[in-house]
Amino acid sequence: MSETYAVELRNVVKQFGEVVAVNNVSLRIGEGEFFSMLGPSGCGKTTTLRMIAGLEMPTSGSVMIYGEEQGYLPPYQRPVNTVFQNYALFPHMTVAQNVAFGLEMKKVPKDEIRRRVAEALELVQLTGKEKRRPKQLSGGQKQRVALARALVNRPKVLLLDEPLGALDLKLRKAMQSELKALQERVGITFVYVTHDQEEALVMSDRIAVMNEGNVLQVGTPEEIYETPTSRFVADFIGKTNFLNGEVVEIGDGLAKVVLENGAVVEASVPEGKTFVRGERATVSIRPERVYITPANELPDVRNAKAFSHLPAKLVKFFYVGSERRYVVLVGDTEVVVQAQNVDRSTRRCHTGDEVVLHWDSAQARLLKE
Amino acid sequence: MSEQALSRALSRRSRMAHLKKQLGEGLFHLYGLTGYLFLYLPIIILVIFSFNDSRSTAQWAGFTTHWYADMMNDHQIILSLWNSLFVAIVSTLVSLVIGTLAALAMERYRFWGKLMMDAVLYLPIIIPDIAMAIMLLIFFDVSGIGFQPWKANFFGVHLAVPYSVIIGHVAFNISFVAVVVRARLAQMDQVLEEAAQDLYADPWRTFWRVTFPMLLPGIMGGALLAFTLSMDDFVITFFTSGAGFNTLPVRVFSMIKKGVTPKINAVSSLMLLFSLVLVAISLIIGKGGDENSSANTMF
Repeated sequence: MSETYAVELRNVVKQFGEVVAVNNVSLRIGEGEFFSMLGPSGCGKTTTLRMIAGLEMPTSGSVMIYGEEQGYLPPYQRPVNTVFQNYALFPHMTVAQNVAFGLEMKKVPKDEIRRRVAEALELVQLTGKEKRRPKQLSGGQKQRVALARALVNRPKVLLLDEPLGALDLKLRKAMQSELKALQERVGITFVYVTHDQEEALVMSDRIAVMNEGNVLQVGTPEEIYETPTSRFVADFIGKTNFLNGEVVEIGDGLAKVVLENGAVVEASVPEGKTFVRGERATVSIRPERVYITPANELPDVRNAKAFSHLPAKLVKFFYVGSERRYVVLVGDTEVVVQAQNVDRSTRRCHTGDEVVLHWDSAQARLLKE
Repeated sequence: MSEQALSRALSRRSRMAHLKKQLGEGLFHLYGLTGYLFLYLPIIILVIFSFNDSRSTAQWAGFTTHWYADMMNDHQIILSLWNSLFVAIVSTLVSLVIGTLAALAMERYRFWGKLMMDAVLYLPIIIPDIAMAIMLLIFFDVSGIGFQPWKANFFGVHLAVPYSVIIGHVAFNISFVAVVVRARLAQMDQVLEEAAQDLYADPWRTFWRVTFPMLLPGIMGGALLAFTLSMDDFVITFFTSGAGFNTLPVRVFSMIKKGVTPKINAVSSLMLLFSLVLVAISLIIGKGGDENSSANTMF
């Protein structure tokens, strides 16, 4: 017997006519996990969520919830509930009636409905708003009603489709931590769809990055950010610099790459990816992982095993308060360097200077072009 | 040009512009007023002469409510009013069910022949009444349905209403109900139905708990429209009723053939009042519905 997952997708494909929205996706989501599906619009993340909910049926493949094959089960027979993107509250019902809807459909006794609705509204801090209509509520309050309406049913899995998308930035930030705290309190598996990478990083236990119907990488926020395995993931999550070149030597986890301007740098090879000598590849290095010094000067090497050095020309400098941002040219390629502004020592690199970039080779990633 | 002459010329020009503007506004208001007079003057005159104390409908001879009393005592008029109400109520109820189902089918489902169905559904609105009336007449005649009366006891009044009239009214009312309900349905976010299904409601309960309450303003609007159209239909009723059956408009028509008296004005005024009440009800329902119910702005 294999281990039971809260949600398991096996080779799920969804086609709309000729268009492949979801292309052979397999995912395993553990019990109690806060799992995010992250990707640009049209990447298939919402379609995948809807297939778990039963609002779309897969063209092929299987969807399992707690080990049970869902097949063509309609949404009203699945042990999951959804928080929809624009809340989808019933406008002709009060807050309490909205929240009670699922329990009524399940024919829960009246007393219990009343008690559980009150509990759910308390959980989302909406006690006292029972008699309001959805249109009398603010965006944040509607959001909470939508949450309460789903959570009151104690679903095995809660599906959330960009639930914070319609809120303004400040409220969104507040709701992020609230939602995460709520999930930890109720202990229900959350499957969360978002296109906001920061939101996904902050809230999730694990993230699946999707693009064009494929899952590109699954991992913890740290894994996704620190060790992206593809150019798309490196680019979509956070900021990064790409340097194109050709692999000239492959060693113990590190590869030497000769860049287009002839300089040789090192980068780590992602696990499970193989490169051959002479292959065109891209080195990805995050702006905050690069040190910049005037030409012919070395930074503290600290305890790095290997350091890469790359001559460049400083073309722009920005003082951003908490950090100093340098834009340099390596050949024709722009590279951004961010340095934390930790002391007030005067800046030693000036626009037009010849400079050297340095990085711990283990921090750079070798990716397929 | 001296400075004085310049300023004089300028002030003359601005005075002219001001006059022009005033004249324009005046003419514009007059134009609007004429439009309203054209539309409503005949109705006002009709109502005024229903109180005329003379057989003439052209010369005022003092105030009386005699014609209203006369109307109330005219059995044929009262019977035709009951007939009208019966036909309107029954045909409205039947077309509400069929029309709403048709709207749901057209808006929510894809099926073979949908495009043709769409065209057919609009047809009764577009084609002339007379064409539809003749079509129905031939249909009832050829099909053998004929003009058999439905003997009904309607609030204690014994009526004999041909099935053909009711079927005829249903035939055109379905289209109007379907159009109004469809407009409402198109505005309704389908995600609400998905939310209901996600909350364990099967399709049947999704319809009754979510779709139907959301559609209700549209359905009520469709009902009022169908009822009004049915109440004042003449052509289709006239052609499908066979012999000896009168609705109020048909009765008025046969009275006119014998000469126009203020009694006809009285009947017409009453029908007008009735329509106004219906419009008022529809406006109140429209206000009571939620903010995005533009289906009610149709009338």
